[in-house]
Amino acid sequence: MKKIAIIGSGAGGLITSSKLAKDLSKQIRNEEVSITIFDRNLEQEFQPGYLEVAFRGTDPAKIIRRVEGLVSPGVKLVYENVEKVDLADRYLQTEGSKEKYGFDYLIISTGSSPDYKQISGLREDNMDFHTDAYNSNLIYQRISKIKSGRIVVGIAGLPYKCPPSPNESAFMLDEYFRKQGLRDNVEITYITPFTRIYSAESINEVIEPIYEKRSIGSVTAFNTDYVDTDRKEINSMEGETLKYDYLFLTPPHKTASFLKGTEFSDEDGWVKVDRRDLHITSYGDSFAIGDTTNLPISKAGVEAHLEGIVVANNIAAEINGMERKYRFTGRTQCSMETGFHKATFVVGTYDKPVEKIEPSTMNYMEKKVMEKIYWGSLHGHYEWLFKYHFKEDYFQD
Amino acid sequence: MATYNVDSRGTACPGPITDLIRAYRKAQNGDEIVLVANDPGAVPDSKAWCERTRNQFMGSKEADRIFEITIKVTGKKA
Repeated sequence: MKKIAIIGSGAGGLITSSKLAKDLSKQIRNEEVSITIFDRNLEQEFQPGYLEVAFRGTDPAKIIRRVEGLVSPGVKLVYENVEKVDLADRYLQTEGSKEKYGFDYLIISTGSSPDYKQISGLREDNMDFHTDAYNSNLIYQRISKIKSGRIVVGIAGLPYKCPPSPNESAFMLDEYFRKQGLRDNVEITYITPFTRIYSAESINEVIEPIYEKRSIGSVTAFNTDYVDTDRKEINSMEGETLKYDYLFLTPPHKTASFLKGTEFSDEDGWVKVDRRDLHITSYGDSFAIGDTTNLPISKAGVEAHLEGIVVANNIAAEINGMERKYRFTGRTQCSMETGFHKATFVVGTYDKPVEKIEPSTMNYMEKKVMEKIYWGSLHGHYEWLFKYHFKEDYFQD
Repeated sequence: MATYNVDSRGTACPGPITDLIRAYRKAQNGDEIVLVANDPGAVPDSKAWCERTRNQFMGSKEADRIFEITIKVTGKKA
């Protein structure tokens, strides 16, 4: 019996498990292979939908599903979080348990979460539209009461997930207040530690004129140090100060706590992997995908998806006596809504720099299609579509 | 005074500058950050970042298409 353990029931873990369950269905039926996901979360949220909930008042229930309904047949779920992994001896332990669960293959897909400890005062005043559906809904209710004032949006620290989302929040707030007829009463300022409004120059060239046209201010190279909630000020490490009435900052993110201090992660706990086949650099049969890795690419669902397909293909190939030949291309495809039903995409690979794509209604519609097919995609229903769409970037073989 | 060695080889924009900013958060005035990258854009990006944040761009060296950029942290408010 080959035991495959997956830590994390987010997009990466579910897509990987679905692909494995499909490719190894015969072996699972014959009890030659088992696939088990470890995660105590009972629900999963469609994270790109937080923006719609926070800034357009979409019902949060529309972006939440029970995990049990997202798991493909043949995959077992253990509703417990992992607190220890021993890659050398190939076992893991869940929180509070001494029982050792052995594995032949391991996939770590534990994502990332806000790290408010890095920036004092930020949690207290921040309207975090970026982290869960419930809080995003509360934010919409708070926005509905804003009639005037100084709004500061942007990036509070690195790394963070969903690179375009801070820019999207600026555009969507601008749209909201224009539609309310209140835009002249509201000042919107975007802050970023990068020297451009969007870090990649090609996309910066696309969105900088939109910032000017919509009168959204920007302060670049701003390294947020702390937030003084009494004075309503954001202070940079270099001593600059920005006043705010309302704060919508994307916090820096951290890895799962059990990964910190392990020999297979970097000093911040991000797992060190081979950028092509995602194996953990010192262990050939253990892998990490998605936000969990230390790869210098976007922390976004599309990465977790494409990396999961590569890992699942390689594990299934090996179990079937074939060569591991699939390689991740580094492909990213993050939509960036620019407001008023238009969007651009941040598209690139390890070998191709980010393209310059002008915002369009067609791009916005493509983003909406992804929302519609997301839940089905976790079951692997649309791999034919993703393969067609990404073409040679889907994977290398 | 500490030296932070940051290896950004194999990454393109914004990888090196992201790594630089993450190291900068941990550093103190007087520390040095040595950024190694093979993206030629890392040199002008680092220079521009230093100018904007009042940190000191000490220089860059190139060998076999690998760039070694040295930055002295001077911009942090005391």
